[in-house]
Amino acid sequence: MIPPNNYLYEMVRSELSWAVGDDHVQTGDADKLGHSIDYYWVPEVWHDRGQKLPPPDFVVYPASAKEVSEILKIANTHKIPVIPWGGGSGSQGGALPIYGGIVMDMKRMNKVLNIDPASMTATAETGINTQHLEWAIEKAGFSTMHFPASIACATLGGFIANRGTGVLSTKYGKIEDMVMTLEVVTPSGEIINTLPVPRHASGPDLTQLFLGSEGTLGVVTKATIKIHPIPESRKFHAFLFKTMHEAMIAGSKIMTSRLRPCVIRLYDEPETAKLIKRVLGIDKKGAYLVFGFDGPAQIVDLELEQACAICREKDHEDLGTEMGQAWWDHRYKFFYPPYMFHLPQAFGTLDTVATFANIEKVYWAMKNVVHENFPQAAFIGHFSHWYEWGCMLYARFIIEAPPKDPHEAVALYNKIWDMAIRAAIKEGGVINEHHGVGLKLGRIMKELYGPAFKVLEDIKKTLDPNNIMNPGKMGFPSKGI
Amino acid sequence: MHMDKHQDVIAACRFCFMCRHLDPVGNVTFQESDTPRGRALILDTIRMKNESLRNRDFIATIYRSALSGANRYHCVSHYDEVGLVLAARKDIVEAGLAPENVKALTETLSRATFTVKGKGTTLYYGDHLELYPGCKIVSGGDPGKALEVLGFGDDSQKVFDRFRSAVVASKCTTLIVAEPSAYDFLKDKFDGIEVVHCSEHLLSGKWKAKPARKAFYLESDFLKNYDGNPAAPRELLARYGYTLTLFGTNNEESYSVGEGAVVFDELNPGLCEKLCRRVYDLAGNLKTALFITPSRYVKATLTKYNPQIRVMTLEEAVAQRKEQ
Ligand SMILES: Cc1cc2nc3c(=O)[nH]c(=O)nc-3n(C[C@H](O)[C@H](O)[C@H](O)COP(=O)(O)OP(=O)(O)OC[C@H]3O[C@@H](n4cnc5c(N)ncnc54)[C@H](O)[C@@H]3O)c2cc1C
Ligand code: SF4
Repeated sequence: MIPPNNYLYEMVRSELSWAVGDDHVQTGDADKLGHSIDYYWVPEVWHDRGQKLPPPDFVVYPASAKEVSEILKIANTHKIPVIPWGGGSGSQGGALPIYGGIVMDMKRMNKVLNIDPASMTATAETGINTQHLEWAIEKAGFSTMHFPASIACATLGGFIANRGTGVLSTKYGKIEDMVMTLEVVTPSGEIINTLPVPRHASGPDLTQLFLGSEGTLGVVTKATIKIHPIPESRKFHAFLFKTMHEAMIAGSKIMTSRLRPCVIRLYDEPETAKLIKRVLGIDKKGAYLVFGFDGPAQIVDLELEQACAICREKDHEDLGTEMGQAWWDHRYKFFYPPYMFHLPQAFGTLDTVATFANIEKVYWAMKNVVHENFPQAAFIGHFSHWYEWGCMLYARFIIEAPPKDPHEAVALYNKIWDMAIRAAIKEGGVINEHHGVGLKLGRIMKELYGPAFKVLEDIKKTLDPNNIMNPGKMGFPSKGI
Repeated sequence: MHMDKHQDVIAACRFCFMCRHLDPVGNVTFQESDTPRGRALILDTIRMKNESLRNRDFIATIYRSALSGANRYHCVSHYDEVGLVLAARKDIVEAGLAPENVKALTETLSRATFTVKGKGTTLYYGDHLELYPGCKIVSGGDPGKALEVLGFGDDSQKVFDRFRSAVVASKCTTLIVAEPSAYDFLKDKFDGIEVVHCSEHLLSGKWKAKPARKAFYLESDFLKNYDGNPAAPRELLARYGYTLTLFGTNNEESYSVGEGAVVFDELNPGLCEKLCRRVYDLAGNLKTALFITPSRYVKATLTKYNPQIRVMTLEEAVAQRKEQ
């Protein structure tokens, strides 16, 4: 952090203004405040308890890869941290300027540059809000099929940086499956492009290196993604099972029989009782399973019928298409206040992914560890993103009345994470599936990767020798306080 | 503080990102502070530390809001973030902290006086008396809405009292209002006088079928997001042969270039120009596209920053077809 009364502050500001224009370098309190808090619970509670949040020194809004490059060169000269910021909707503290420096807000880079109907791809600048992107693509008669709950909050670049995912991931993939190629500005300011197609045998895939790099290896400025036709039909169906285990058997059988649902979601008994009741008004005991198929109408009907037949093999209550459609119609409602958990509650999403063989073990390991060690915490979960081999557990802990003292509250919060995550890793879980690592989980990276983490560390050192890019995130070295 | 009545909104919006894509100002400045979350964070800071109300940057941000109803309309719980900002503006004004440009504007607006002319049993408040035979017309400045949104409640009331006196003296029992902001303001203000939007009144008249003509309909932020989205404006235009096309990429965003803040262009011309540019950019060919808006503010503002754009108010669109 450069003290504003130090004349170096003005030197850097002048350089940045020269690079992007006066209007695009903000140093006012209002914008600094907005950029000091993302969707991570810790800065929220810090603010709520009147604590000072580390602000950025400058918030800079580049309009092109060239301007991004200029900013990175300035940052290298002065060895100032640069923190890319998309929509700030990340839940891991990834975009927080913990050491001050330059927050590089990408939202000015928001153009759809090209829609290629022949290849069904679209190219856009990465600061584009994903709802705006989807609207533009829909206007051209297609869809990105990327429908995360934060579609209206987040940017394309944020999803790329966090390996994010949308509701229809089971059929259309996560963001790393959607991206064709990237333009990246490396920490030294060089503008590079990865190979134009994702399937090749020309060495390791650089696109995948930057996907999930959380702004630590460079700034992603442009992306070409796949787009899709609007499906002729999309249908849903819901079932209620006596236990989560029975529902899991049905869900995994749908996947391993290689049916191609666009979405499956399974809520454990406590979440069915709490959230499904509150948001959808379904007041029943058991585990709620919903799935959907889309595509040509005849195929959808056939696949849906087969999936229903699998569910009917177990003791079930058929909630029909209506209760499935209701879930789809209200899928974002869960995330609006007051439906979403909120302060004074403490809450965290213990996002974990594992194979079908391990996923229930992961669930029970986390749940038991939370219950045994933190009797004040509730544990609920649903299984969100399903693949041929396993699925993601979107588990949450919730404490209704965490300690008033912010330090105590954060210490308790971190302890729950530490214990729950380690329990999950032991059972074969990977932390995590789509939220990223950020500040929140950096301390676990070495444990998660083992010796392989050195490979990532070496890449970081090579690309970013001055450690200007988002220091202290993803388990990479901090700047020191 | 007036803001205290909106604690629920602060609590909901301060950490919520769900409607940021619809904030007209945030969509052109890209600043986090120009979103419902950003403003709620500022006001939460002021809630905790009252002296932060003096922060000039916070005040400027609060006066930069376009007060668009699109966000509240989108929000599944309809939290009234605009209500919160209006309360904050009142607190700023009462603390004597209103920015100089706001104060200067207030002086002009406070001087409004109103006169009634013509003969009839119905009173019309707008610019196109030729469409309302048998009506009297009341004219003058803004009836108090602009002062209200600027946070000057007492001054707004004084202006409105003058407006009311003029209306009462006219002895009319129906008041037809053309400008959506004024309609929004006046519709709940009178006892014994019915306030109707001009489109409702015009819809009750006779018309002749006209050949089809394509136009983009720019929704009014007030009519759509605050006043129950009446069907009358669209029905009226359809009757007069206009085939309305969706503008932009979606029907959630407000393209009304600051209409919700009534005097947005007077206060923030540079920013208002950016809002207009967003419309021009989305429009494609400005020379061939025709826009219809219920608001003369929107028309005046869009044509100010690019005279090439072809915009008509709803009343002009009707008047033009009546003449044909
Ligand atoms: C209500 C809500 C619901 C959510 N639901 C989902 C969901 O369904 N699926 C999901 O995946 N996530 C979800 N999230 C989390 C969040 O939206 C994602 O993590 C998203 O990827 C963050 O994008 P952002 O643009 O907000 O990035 P930010 O939060 O601004 O940044 C996230 C990280 O990306 C880096 N970054 C941002 N832009 C760039 C760039 N151009 N180049 C390099 N690095 C960059 C930042 O430095 C930071 O490390 C949700 C969040 C909220 C608030
Ligand atoms: S108005 Fe609703 S959606 Fe918008 S920030 Fe507030 S709570 Fe969230």
